[in-house]
Amino acid sequence: MEAGRKRYRLYFPALLLAPLLMGVVDFARAVPVFSRKYQTSCSTCHYAFPQLNAFGKAFRNNGYRYPGGDENFRKDEPVSLGSEAYKKVFPNAIWPSDLPISAPFAVQAMGEYDQSFHQPDSVTAGNFVFPSVVKVFYAGTLGESFSLFGEIALENTGDAVDTGFPFRLEWNRRPAFNVAAGSIALDPTPNDRSLIPTLFNVSGLASRNGWVLDGEQPGLELWGAGNGPGGKGGWKYMTGVVNGQGGVVGRKQDVFARLTYKINGLGEIGGTEGQASKSSAFYKDNSLTLGGFVSTGRAGADLFADREDLTTWAGTMDGWYERAILNAAVFSMDSKPNGLPEQKSLAWYAQGQYVVYPWLIGLARFESTDLDTKDGLDPQTTLIPAVAGMLRANIKLTVEYKRPMNDYAARKADEECMVAKLDFAL
Amino acid sequence: MKRPWTLLIVAVLSAGALPAAAGTIKGKIAIARARTLADVVVYVDKAPGQFAAPKQHVVMNQKDLAFQPHVMPVVVGTTVDFLNSDQVLHNVFSPDKCVSKFNLGTWPKGEVRSYTFATVGCAPVVLCNVHPEMEGFVVILQNPFFAVTDKSGLFVIHDVPEGKYTIKAWNRKFLAVSQEVTVSKEGDATCNLTLK
Repeated sequence: MEAGRKRYRLYFPALLLAPLLMGVVDFARAVPVFSRKYQTSCSTCHYAFPQLNAFGKAFRNNGYRYPGGDENFRKDEPVSLGSEAYKKVFPNAIWPSDLPISAPFAVQAMGEYDQSFHQPDSVTAGNFVFPSVVKVFYAGTLGESFSLFGEIALENTGDAVDTGFPFRLEWNRRPAFNVAAGSIALDPTPNDRSLIPTLFNVSGLASRNGWVLDGEQPGLELWGAGNGPGGKGGWKYMTGVVNGQGGVVGRKQDVFARLTYKINGLGEIGGTEGQASKSSAFYKDNSLTLGGFVSTGRAGADLFADREDLTTWAGTMDGWYERAILNAAVFSMDSKPNGLPEQKSLAWYAQGQYVVYPWLIGLARFESTDLDTKDGLDPQTTLIPAVAGMLRANIKLTVEYKRPMNDYAARKADEECMVAKLDFAL
Repeated sequence: MKRPWTLLIVAVLSAGALPAAAGTIKGKIAIARARTLADVVVYVDKAPGQFAAPKQHVVMNQKDLAFQPHVMPVVVGTTVDFLNSDQVLHNVFSPDKCVSKFNLGTWPKGEVRSYTFATVGCAPVVLCNVHPEMEGFVVILQNPFFAVTDKSGLFVIHDVPEGKYTIKAWNRKFLAVSQEVTVSKEGDATCNLTLK
């Protein structure tokens, strides 16, 4: 796999749980580095980590800075790498910058209990995995216009270890114009990353030689965001080129583009204009965001698969109303492996979330995956009810149950499972 | 010869209209193992008479993700304007029953929402449900004879009428204490308090 990660051997039950674990070694979306820098709670930016709330997205869209400038908000005084006056000396001096005064590192650790059902007697049905993932991440801003985001992750996959070390450096010229180099995520699913461990089927849908949306790839990305009329909602675009997947033989880089438009709610780049309301909470943002995504490329050939031309598109919807969130995505993949007939795959999901209390969130997801729309088989459907409990702002417990449905249920009964996961960051 | 008597009568009547002789109560609070001695409210408990709330609103600012001042004593009936001075949304609410668990909603930079604190004897916490780390206190008192300590624990209560009083101290973390103090005609009184 690309993106500075290497997957070692997978053993059962890790194989059984592969769909759950895929993408866990991935960019952190919860970064206590920023919590320390601004001395603010996780919930300033997170609905329930790692899922961002509206302000968290605006913070990210400002290059990991507070909207409108964050000099007054950051509680640590940065180390100067050159006086401001050196801007007058440029190009006869290096442009001034700064460094965080404290090392911008943080740790996230996870452990879980996996319970599978309908397994042969020879297989252990219950399994503790402590730790399942440990991450050290680093993030911050470098002067006025650069930011950095990266991590080193170790994932326990039974008796083997999966490592990952994605990072990206961004030039944040202005909210509408940013350039990122490093690990680029193509995944267009709303809210970036699911609240629960199970990866969206859309993100994990693999082509015949293993190309998936999930994960990061080395590349370049141009992105930007802006507020809509009256300071509400707004637009965001992302486009770029990444190495692509599969082997290197005959590979063409993936080119992708994504556009979203948010109606109502907090502006994509923040601000307070037009945002007065009678009630508020960090998990509320009455809004509707619609999005589209397209990518094209050629996964290269290796010992196990021939090269494969791929074109994908996705449509997304993300609606927030008071305590509820409803989001959905549909993803289509046209695959043309060398010498094989064209295959079209179609996957979609719909997910509802409801904040019972700010620390207790119920979730239900329905997924449908049709690997080959012409094979006459019913799509694989799965129901995932779950509960997420924030024991503290930085400690989360999730319990989810995965239930294969329809004909697929009979064929994949062994995929019925329950996962309880403990996740904390400091 | 009548003129001096007239002047004397006027002088006596005028003296009656002036406030009684007032002094100051100075002192220092001590708290073992406290990281700071600031934000302790020291006040006169139950001064005789009725004290009207100021007509002018007082301001508690929300700036740099903090309530400023962190602790604000007010006379009962005072209206506090909560001003958002940040380029982010803020909210103000209180979970305390003595202020009916008010919630003022959310408002942008430069705008205010107001609340009148009408229940004497409580010190409701005010919070922002957008930024959970933000916390402020409004200490509702019967009279205007109060002060807030500085970082070194010093305080001065001005314009206290002559008399014998009970001085109390309030802090969100430590037990309230009290001490008897007499403000004499000569002026200043001293009061040192130790919170536990």
